[in-house]
Amino acid sequence: MTSNLHRETFEDVAFRAGYLALLVFMLLPLLVVIVTSFSGSGRIAFPPDSFSLVWYGEFFESIRWLNAFTNSLIVGFGTALAATVLGVMGAFGQEIEDGSFGKLLAPLVLIPLLIPPVILGITLLMYFNEVGLRGSYASIVLAHTLWATPLVYFVMRSVFSRFDWQQLDAAHDLGAGPIRSFVQVVLPNVKHGIFVGALLAFIISLQEFVMALFLSTPNTETIPVLAWTEIRQALDPMVSVVSTFLILISVGAIVVAVIATNLEWLSKQLS
Amino acid sequence: MSERNSVLPSSLASAWEPIADQSRSNRALLLMAPLIVFELLVFVVPFFILLRISFAEESSDLVYAEGTWTLQAYVDVFTSGLLRSIVGYSFMLGIAVTLVTVVIAIFYAYAIWRSDGLIKSLLLFSVVLPLLTTLVIRTYAFQPLLSPTGTVNEILLSLGIINSSIQIVPSTVGVVIGQTYIVLPYAVLAIYSVMATMDWHVVEAARDLGASRPRSVLEVVVPQVMPGIIVASVISFAWSVGAYAAPDLLSNSISFAMQVEDLMLSGLRYPLAAAFSVVMLVLMLVCIGVLFAVLNRFGGDFELA
Repeated sequence: MTSNLHRETFEDVAFRAGYLALLVFMLLPLLVVIVTSFSGSGRIAFPPDSFSLVWYGEFFESIRWLNAFTNSLIVGFGTALAATVLGVMGAFGQEIEDGSFGKLLAPLVLIPLLIPPVILGITLLMYFNEVGLRGSYASIVLAHTLWATPLVYFVMRSVFSRFDWQQLDAAHDLGAGPIRSFVQVVLPNVKHGIFVGALLAFIISLQEFVMALFLSTPNTETIPVLAWTEIRQALDPMVSVVSTFLILISVGAIVVAVIATNLEWLSKQLS
Repeated sequence: MSERNSVLPSSLASAWEPIADQSRSNRALLLMAPLIVFELLVFVVPFFILLRISFAEESSDLVYAEGTWTLQAYVDVFTSGLLRSIVGYSFMLGIAVTLVTVVIAIFYAYAIWRSDGLIKSLLLFSVVLPLLTTLVIRTYAFQPLLSPTGTVNEILLSLGIINSSIQIVPSTVGVVIGQTYIVLPYAVLAIYSVMATMDWHVVEAARDLGASRPRSVLEVVVPQVMPGIIVASVISFAWSVGAYAAPDLLSNSISFAMQVEDLMLSGLRYPLAAAFSVVMLVLMLVCIGVLFAVLNRFGGDFELA
């Protein structure tokens, strides 16, 4: 009995040590990025030799970084809009009637996520070359929408499945048209889901890198693409400054999404 | 928020108007139509074009010669020693990362499932935050940590565990660590979302019957979360075989993604790049099929036992 107890204590300690070590592994790289952005020297070292805000000053004076930031916002809002409209409509249509097309829809929407982004990037570059969209914002928005729509779609499927559809029928019976009944009955119940879906689509676009690398030109390059170009030339703390902004935006998005729903639900949607 | 509210109903409304009188199924179809058209135009058609270009001849002044048919690009892929070794390296990387990732992911998902309150939120947050952070950041952070003059080496040296610094980056070990960090969040969440639907009493019952705790996890939990493990394996494998950032920054080896980028953007050899992509995609599908069959059987056998 005592040896059993000993073993159980040992297992408890090992289990705890295991997941705490993984917790550190998951968060340490992001911590390194944030801390090195306050570096006083031109070298990235962790922990830094000295601290200063000099690289933050440089960021706000760099036209190239600010342009990339604008590009990221344009592409991000475009993606959020396109993915939300497509995803919400698709999920809603499937909820009304799940016919043979509906059964095809889920795998069709999901497959792009399982293909390495490099192959998608190459395929889309060749395609946009053919149809004359190469180098446009639209090419990056369409590529990111391919990646973000599944998320919005599955978030909305989950949201719609919890909605009580008899309410919509009741609205119909009371004489409300389809538009009015959607806006007044369905929308108030699902608006949090739509908001979280759009937010996730925006973040996915903001952070996506491989497809953007293939599809962007110096005029349309987004933040991750420019960061990549800079890292390959010289690793200076400017990249950490930009990365810190990106991490803060993601933290902000998670906080907002958690307020609108909850962390448990959000996590399940992301898988 | 206000922008979203105004945009969404109006776009839905305009799609709705012409179909207001139609039957339920037509209405459903029309709502799904934009998404189906989008997937066809931006996903299915581009893949046929990729396939077509892979059968075209190379051209000296254009990216490929239009209207020509040849198998030359495929012959080049299969006869080039360089490309073959790159395929081998990419698949080896994919298998190594998938194994490491799935084992860690099962453990981490289990820890999240068993914890509650603040710890649970913290563990979930530690998975969701990297997932929503760009690949570029997730990769380069390992340079100051793992390089010969980096943090890990300094700590190990000062503790006297090693005598001279070890080179983790650049090396294949570094790539496996970096790439595992990239795919781990997806794998953890895929497994966790299945685990969260499980009934804890089943595990408790196994323990009451005398199974040790590690054994009860291995024989009760793992088979039940097999669907999540399959998804986690497929994602880890597909993305690691196609890894781009981690091999480039953290090793001196060349992965498929780096080579094909070079063929496309520097060499402008579209047919060869297309054929190489098609070959990789087919090989990956075969591997995923095998993986799927093996894991399914593994899960099934455990259920019978």
